[in-house]
Amino acid sequence: MRRSAGLILALSIALSAPAHAQTKDSLVVDLPGDVATMDPQIQWDTDSYSVYRNIFDNLLTRDTAGKIVPQVATAWRYTNDTTIVFDIRSDILFHDGSKLTPEDVVFSVKRITTPEFKSPQLSQFDQIIAAEVSGPSQVTLHTKTPYPALLAQLVKLSIIPKAYVEKVGDTAFNQQVIGSGPFKLKSWQRGVQTNLEANDAYWRGKPTFKTVTFRAVPDGATRLADLRTGRADLTRGLTPDDAVAMKSERGLKVQSVATERVAYLFVNALFGPTKDVRVRQAIAMAIDRDTLINALQQGYAKPVDIVLTPANFGYVTDIKAWPFDPARARALIKSAGAEGATVPFLTSPVYDRRLNEAVQQMLDDVGLKMTITVVDQPTYLKRRLGQPEESGSMSQGRWSCACQDADGVIFPLFRSGSAWSKFTNATFDAEVDAARATLDETKRMAHYHKAFEILHDEVPGIGLFQDEAIYLMKPNLQWQPTANEAFFVYDMKWAN
Amino acid sequence: MKHNRGITLVLILLAAFILAALAAPALAPFDPLRQSLLLRLKPPGSLVGTRQFLLGTDDLGRDLLSRVLYGARISLLVATTAVAVSLVVGITLGLIAGWFRGWTATLIMRLVDTMLSIPAILLAILTVAVLGPGFLNLVIVLGLTRWPRYTRVAYGQTLQIANLPYIRAAEMAGASTTRILWRHILPNIAGPMMVVATSEFGLMILFEAGLSFLGLGIQPPNPSWGAIMAAGRQYVERAWWLTVFPGACLFTLVVCVNLTGDWLRDKVDPRSR
Amino acid sequence: MGQLSSHLASRLGQALLASFGVLTIVFFIMRLSGDPTLLLVPEGATVEQINQLRHQLGFDRPLGLQFLSYLGDLARFDLGQSLVQRAPVLGIVAERIPYTVALAAGALVVALGIGIPAGIAMALWRGSLLERALSGFVLAGQSLPTFWSGILLILLFGVTLGWLPTSGADSLSALVMPSIALGAVTMSSFARMTRIAVLDELQSSYVTAARARGQSRLQAVRRHVLRNAAIPVVTIAALEVGNLLAGAVIVESVFAWPGIGQLAIQSIQSRDFLVVQAVVLFVSLVYVLTNLAADLAYAAIDPRIRAAR
Repeated sequence: MRRSAGLILALSIALSAPAHAQTKDSLVVDLPGDVATMDPQIQWDTDSYSVYRNIFDNLLTRDTAGKIVPQVATAWRYTNDTTIVFDIRSDILFHDGSKLTPEDVVFSVKRITTPEFKSPQLSQFDQIIAAEVSGPSQVTLHTKTPYPALLAQLVKLSIIPKAYVEKVGDTAFNQQVIGSGPFKLKSWQRGVQTNLEANDAYWRGKPTFKTVTFRAVPDGATRLADLRTGRADLTRGLTPDDAVAMKSERGLKVQSVATERVAYLFVNALFGPTKDVRVRQAIAMAIDRDTLINALQQGYAKPVDIVLTPANFGYVTDIKAWPFDPARARALIKSAGAEGATVPFLTSPVYDRRLNEAVQQMLDDVGLKMTITVVDQPTYLKRRLGQPEESGSMSQGRWSCACQDADGVIFPLFRSGSAWSKFTNATFDAEVDAARATLDETKRMAHYHKAFEILHDEVPGIGLFQDEAIYLMKPNLQWQPTANEAFFVYDMKWAN
Repeated sequence: MKHNRGITLVLILLAAFILAALAAPALAPFDPLRQSLLLRLKPPGSLVGTRQFLLGTDDLGRDLLSRVLYGARISLLVATTAVAVSLVVGITLGLIAGWFRGWTATLIMRLVDTMLSIPAILLAILTVAVLGPGFLNLVIVLGLTRWPRYTRVAYGQTLQIANLPYIRAAEMAGASTTRILWRHILPNIAGPMMVVATSEFGLMILFEAGLSFLGLGIQPPNPSWGAIMAAGRQYVERAWWLTVFPGACLFTLVVCVNLTGDWLRDKVDPRSR
Repeated sequence: MGQLSSHLASRLGQALLASFGVLTIVFFIMRLSGDPTLLLVPEGATVEQINQLRHQLGFDRPLGLQFLSYLGDLARFDLGQSLVQRAPVLGIVAERIPYTVALAAGALVVALGIGIPAGIAMALWRGSLLERALSGFVLAGQSLPTFWSGILLILLFGVTLGWLPTSGADSLSALVMPSIALGAVTMSSFARMTRIAVLDELQSSYVTAARARGQSRLQAVRRHVLRNAAIPVVTIAALEVGNLLAGAVIVESVFAWPGIGQLAIQSIQSRDFLVVQAVVLFVSLVYVLTNLAADLAYAAIDPRIRAAR
């Protein structure tokens, strides 16, 4: 009986509370989905970390230029190829007033890397085999082998309070998180919205906003309507068509940033008509990158010649993509005897369907019959990551490793043995293996150059463009979004 | 008399839809699948070179008029097939339940209750998740979720008619069950069943549009009205024609079907006059 | 009374059996289409890491075993812990139920508030211009796809006129548009039902008698017809609850209304099995029980009507 009374009470409160009063001290953000979990270590999705990144500090972070800079760690040095020492700040307090110590850093690492904890993020940190406190303000991490992407991964490590988590337990921690970040969790109405309030004792200084509200609004058109009526101040994930329409709205500002996300086409090199390298090369020559960018992306994209963006380490500029040459493509397909062949394209609603259909037309123009199969995302992943026979001959991808390093992109996508890869090339494998086993950047670039040469000739994937993240906000909101799509409210403020 | 003129108009409109659907290849000015990425979102009446886009173009530059005509085919085909499947399955089970009664009826009607307890849309989403989308699976899903409605009505009607004297007489005269069900009972319940079928027809058209909205219906680039509207939804203000024209056709067709259903109901059940 | 309660008990038992059947069907369908592991991990995870997480979450056990384990939990009224949200399923679902209940109630208010008067008017003024206009209106409500009417409502009343909030569930005014979008179809059902019922009653003997005594049609309607025509309407109302819960799925999506319909779609898309099962269980129980209540109400009232004639 108490429960139903509580529900009735919640309902009447929910329905009678006035709409959120907006002032200069508050920020309202519309996101496509609600936070899955507040605990930063048990999920991996954009809507969750858009919120909790404001509650927690990370060991390292990136500045607006994309360079890795200190946050909880002030400095670091390698004592050998597999051991790295971090100096930890001593003036950081968690929201409950307790001090952030090296024990908390070690605890955060160990919690994720313990398999029994079932963290989906394990794969990002499992190269770390040991972590220990090595001084009053010092932490030492050990990796299995030399791991050049370690620092990039540590940008995503949120530091959580050991004492608090051990006291209340994991389930309660997820409901009532405590971090050391610029904002505290005030309330979380699951499925509806999250309310944050400023942490006035924040070590970097008081945040500009007193309150931040993240609202879950699944429908894109509704999010735009919210911005136009002033119900929200900021939203992300606009499509290029939305951006073009909103540009003419006087009361709103569109802001875009080139990200590390690469739009590419997967081409199956192990099964079907695309098994023949000539067919793959012909497909590469059938794609009109410029028209795709201008007509579909409305210019909100930068073309790339390889399956990587300039925002990632490892990007090479002197390898050019196959030129757009339908006549040559047709000839190549004829010589491969693949005229009229059926090319199954597997995709899900997550990926832009217009791109799929445009590609279908382009392939049709060179004599290939592409059939599009749309399944839902879980089924898509199951098939795409399954046997070469089930993953279709082609697919669209929008890949971001959130690490800004080629290792997080072409290693999982094309190295044999990876679930995503439908391609085997021993030389390529050797090159990407070598590139991840050394810390020397010059050596790594040389390996990646060779790797991309192979990818160019063998075409297991076709790089299309560097995706741009498009945000819509009130015109006087000052904020420079970053290439890794981090969402730090601390960096936002009203102009004047 | 006025009433008859009204229904004549509706039936003519319905026939026009069916004709348009059948003759789409002849009537459509362009290939509904042909894209022109540089002619995206052109308003109705646009003239480009020698090509006239009477209803405008969609977000991939395809002619909307042609897509709407072909869309009529798909909407009608999906709805007809789905209704046919669920009608056959539903009537059969209803007849059996109404004739044999006892445990058979209880089993069937409890199955009906179970099926009716699952929200149709959730069952559709789940089934498409397993079977995959596409025309055939869509029809299977729609057929599987709607048959209980026919069974309920068929069951009730069969119960009533089965007790009539001449049915009992036929049975005593040694007529086989199949013969009785087929020749005597079925024709008598045909009226109410047709009424259910017409209201279901309208619902199937809307349902297919709804599933396309969720991305689970007819697959691109095939132009079902629901799919065109779902894709055009984000351009509602800038390219209103993408939702208005297919929406108007959808609306008109469903209205005609519903009015036909009402007229049938009036004919079958004089109480509703 | 004894007969009624044993009848009630047997119908209740059958209703629960139906819900159990629903649960079983949904359980197996969901698991046949894969598990959430692939959706949970970051893009670069290796096959070994994926399999390890799958094993940790228990999705690699045989289906039959998973089903028995689930039934065991259910018997202890334990709906489980969502492996996607790492929180108790009961809490997740219970938080959303009031929103859908509010939406369904709002839709019913719209449907009854417009449908019944329309139905009565259509019956009393048959053949008039008013009836034709109302018939058109009722027809429109039945023929518009909710996702389309939803976004049009938002554009008209939210963006252009600014009268109503464009999204969310903050206030009572946010309930208006979703209720209209959802209630439109049900409104048509009620209008038609009421019209038929009123027409039927108008021909009955006691109405004729009342008119013979000098009462106007309106007076006769008020005294006798409404009371008697209310019964089929009440039965339909109970049945429409199930339809409303189903139709809420699309409306909640368009209007960002955080009810269980939206929860169901999101959970299916993220393969959050336990949440989907809990939602389906709830919806089917509601449907089955309201069905039962309608049947019983009709059975209880019906003999009295027959006696009154």
